[in-house]
Parts: sequence; structure tokens; C-alpha cells
Amino acid sequence: MRILITISLLLGLLCLTACGLGKEGMIVLVEDGWKANIYATNKDGFGAPDGILWRQGKFYFADEGSGAIESWCSPDGLKTLCNTSLGIMSPEDLVMDHQGNIFFTDDDAGGVWEIDATGKAFLLAGKEQGLVSTEGIALAPSGNIIIGDGEKHLIYSVSRSGVVSTLLTGIKKPESMVYDERGNLFIADNEENVLYMADPELKLYRLIEHKEGFSPETIFYQQGTLYITNSQTGKLYRYTPQDGLHTIAVFGGRLGNVQGITADDQGNLYLSVQSDLQHKVGYIIKLEKEIRS
Amino acid sequence: MTKQIICALILSGLTDAVINVSDSIFHLANSLVGRFWIVDNLIALPVDNEFIKAALLGSCFLAVWFGQKTEEETRRVRKILLATLIACVFVIATTKTLSKTVFLPRPFIQSKLVYHLTDDQLVENHRLSYRVPLDKSSQDSYRDLLNGEIAKNDLGSFPSDHAGFFVTVAAGIWLASRGVGLIALAWTFFVILLGRVMTGMHSPLDIIAGAAIGIMVLALVQFVARKWFGGWLDRVVNWSLQHTAMTSALLFAVLFEVSNTLVHLPPLAKFGIATVKHLLGKGN
Repeated sequence: MRILITISLLLGLLCLTACGLGKEGMIVLVEDGWKANIYATNKDGFGAPDGILWRQGKFYFADEGSGAIESWCSPDGLKTLCNTSLGIMSPEDLVMDHQGNIFFTDDDAGGVWEIDATGKAFLLAGKEQGLVSTEGIALAPSGNIIIGDGEKHLIYSVSRSGVVSTLLTGIKKPESMVYDERGNLFIADNEENVLYMADPELKLYRLIEHKEGFSPETIFYQQGTLYITNSQTGKLYRYTPQDGLHTIAVFGGRLGNVQGITADDQGNLYLSVQSDLQHKVGYIIKLEKEIRS
Repeated sequence: MTKQIICALILSGLTDAVINVSDSIFHLANSLVGRFWIVDNLIALPVDNEFIKAALLGSCFLAVWFGQKTEEETRRVRKILLATLIACVFVIATTKTLSKTVFLPRPFIQSKLVYHLTDDQLVENHRLSYRVPLDKSSQDSYRDLLNGEIAKNDLGSFPSDHAGFFVTVAAGIWLASRGVGLIALAWTFFVILLGRVMTGMHSPLDIIAGAAIGIMVLALVQFVARKWFGGWLDRVVNWSLQHTAMTSALLFAVLFEVSNTLVHLPPLAKFGIATVKHLLGKGN
């Protein structure tokens, strides 16, 4: 009897302790020199963003959960730039040029869409031009918009007037794309799980392949480093040709589905996490670079 | 509202106190490794080697199963041991479910900066200092951590399924036979589980939680089995007495799987489901 009472007390204590333990999600910062915090949540008005973009103190979301393109900053709050009334369904990724024009993809509605600097939103090129299920998007040095199509397995170049031409073939699912300052185009294929690089002559290299657990979701380039999210295993990597691939952080639980990534001028990283797309639950996590004295 | 705040404060204080005690014990145990190669390898041996980990427990189980002098005593211990095997399944299901809902990484992972999400806020975990044992497996695990290679089950080590499982087996043997059971319990705590704490695989809190779940489930299953399923157990025991060779063969298979903490059963179950779906034309 005494043994049973002791065990019951022990269990009660453990249950109480377990109640106080983390049950929702976690982040392990594998690389030193970073600090993490929740920068924004869906309580700030957005749903569950996929692609995110930071520009001059303001965030732009391809909000897959809400079916909208939104801008958000802390004092001004959320502003919807366009939504499903335009015909968009699941905005996927977005870019902005120097004039403030936003271009975005939509893997359900297809096409490449534009919100110009005056706020006018329209379809630049649609399914009729072959853009069936648009995923990754990048701004070419020429000014053209580079679009990856997950169903056609092609990468297109779209002029500012909406003329579509094929740029690259043979990439299974070009989920995310970005240019470096030398004109190399990095392509994340999250179906064959390969990171490609196309040089300015469009010669294609496989930088990372056959790596267990590696499935690039979104790539972002800043100051010689490629940052890569992996929604399948909940990881954030950095890649440089010299050092190769290194994990910065591992995400688990409700924070495991890391999607988009962007950075501010100080090099702080912002990641979008889709905790529950259906119920529009999402987070923006800030990974802040620690300033060392 | 005030009551809720007080309850939350008490809960938070209690959690912190229990974790602090657990961390202190972990530091003490872990401070003993990383000094002598031979010592670390001996400590790590039962962590990775299934034979060292489970062969003695399997032997104890068989000794008690077959080693009784009277038929009455044989019937009594076999019923206890059968209920123990049933309890093992419930224990592993409980610990696996809990470890997927409570995010407490292994202590060696907590040597890195870890945050947990609570009420839409990231709360920084207390960072543990960690001495890396000198055995190859621990060195490889730590190198993997530095390279960001973290296995999913490394993020949820609370409660320890090893503790739950092997304490259930050892305590079941103890219920059947005190002398042999003490050997099994001592092996479980001082060889299997202590090694897991010293090498940073589990915190003392993980171990105690796992062990408590194991004992609780075992007690419950033993009670239910005697109260409502005594007739079924009698029939199985009768069968085992009449078919000794077949019983030995089955016991070998069962104890082989028990020594591997039932890891082969889920893939087998998945294969079975996939096969049924395939035959029904609903799968590949």
C-alpha cells in the first residue's frame, strides 16, 4: 500500500511537471551566435504565409492561408494588397523590384501576378501562356521575371509585358529560386530534393543531391550566403560554395513546417511557419544575429 | 482569475524545481564521463548493444518461467509474466505518445540553445553543460549534432521509453520471483538506465517518468488481468504446460522482440496494412 501511495504521489508530481514542459513546439539553435523570438503571429491579422519578403522595414506576405498578398509592419498593422476576389487562390512566393512593383506566383490558380507601385493588381501572364502551377519566382538581372512551374517541370522567363518563354527544362519542381550578384540562378527542387545552380550561360549544376533528409523549400541569398528552409525535416541551413551546407536551426512540433525566408539589412533572418494552413495558424520567427563585444 | 494565476505560478515553480533537481543529478552523472576511454566504452555498451542491454533480462524471464518447482507455482508466475508482456505493449504506446506531445530534447541536445513555444512566445531553455563521452557512438552523435543532424526522437526524450519498458519487464519478473527480480531490477537501473543518463541520452526526469509509467501500467494490467481475464490466462498457461516445445519457440520470438523494445512491430503492422490495401486494390 505504501509503495502504491508513493508511486501515485510520484506520478502526480510528474504529471504536474509534464504540464509545465514545452508541449507546442521548439527550436534548437545548432549554430551559435543566433537568438530566436516570435516576431508576429496570425493574431496580427495574417493567416499562414508561405513566401515572405522584407523591404525597408515592411513585410510582404504571400499568405497561402488567407489567399491574399499582404503588407505588414508593427505600427501600421496589416494591409491586404489583393485577395481571392482578383482570382488568386494560394499565393506561393513573391518578389519586389526597385520600383516597388510586386510579382507573385500561385500554385493553384497558376500564372504570374503583379501589384504595381500604385497598388493596381492584375494577372501578368496566366495558364493560357503555359503557367499552370507556378511555384518559385526570381527577378533576373535583365528585369524579366523567372517563374518555376511544378506541373510542367519548366522554368519560364516572363517579360514585363507578359511575354513568356522557356528558360530551363528538366527540373521536377522548381519550388524556390533566387539570383546571386554574379547572375547565377539557384533553384530549389523539393520533389527530387536537389539544389541546382544555373550559371549566366544557363549551364546547370547540381550543388546538393542525394543528401538524406534534404528537401529545399525556400532559398534566399544575402551577402555570399544562401539560406535554405526545409519544411520536411524542419531545418534552416546556410550554404556557401566554400563551406558547403550547415544547419543553423532545427524546428519541431508546431514550428516544424518552416516555409519562407527573408532577411533585413542587419542580416537578421525572418521565417514563416505554417502551423495549420487550414485554420490559418502561422508564425513569423525572427532569428537575430547576436552582437558580440 | 487569481486562483488560475496562483495555480500557474505553483505549476511553473514546481516544474522549475523538478527540472533543476534533474539537471543537477544529470551534471553529477555526466561529470564522470569523458575522462577514460575504457570506462566510457563500458558505460556506453548497454546503450547500443542489444545483447548486453537485454540478454540478462531475457535470461531472468526464462529462468522464472521454467524454473519453478511445483505446477501451482509455475501457473502463478506464468500468469504474472504473461500479464507483464501485455503491459509492455501499453507502456511503449504510452511513452511514445507522450514523447510526441511533450518537447523535451535529450540532454546532449540541450547543450545547444533550445527554445520551446508556450502561449505564442519562445521561452529559452536552461542550457546544459555536457561532457562528451569518449566512445565512438557518443562522439558520432555529438558530431551529428554540431552538423545539425538531429533525429526526430532526439527532440522528445520525455519520458524514456527504455525506462518504461525495461522497468516493466524487470518489475514483472520481481513480482513473479523476488530474488531473480532484484537482479533484473538492479541490471535495469544500474546498467541500462544509468548509462543512458551518463551519456546524455536521457535526463533523470525522463528516466523517473518512464519508470513510473511502467510501474503504474504494470500494476494496472496485473490487476485487470487477475480480476477479469484470469480464465483466459489459465487457458494460455494450460496450453503452455501441454506444449513446452512450442511455448519455448514462441517465447524466444517474443523475448527477441522485447529485447528490441518492440521496434520491429510498427513496420510489420504497416506492411500488413499496406498488403491488405494492395489486395483490396486500394493501394500500390
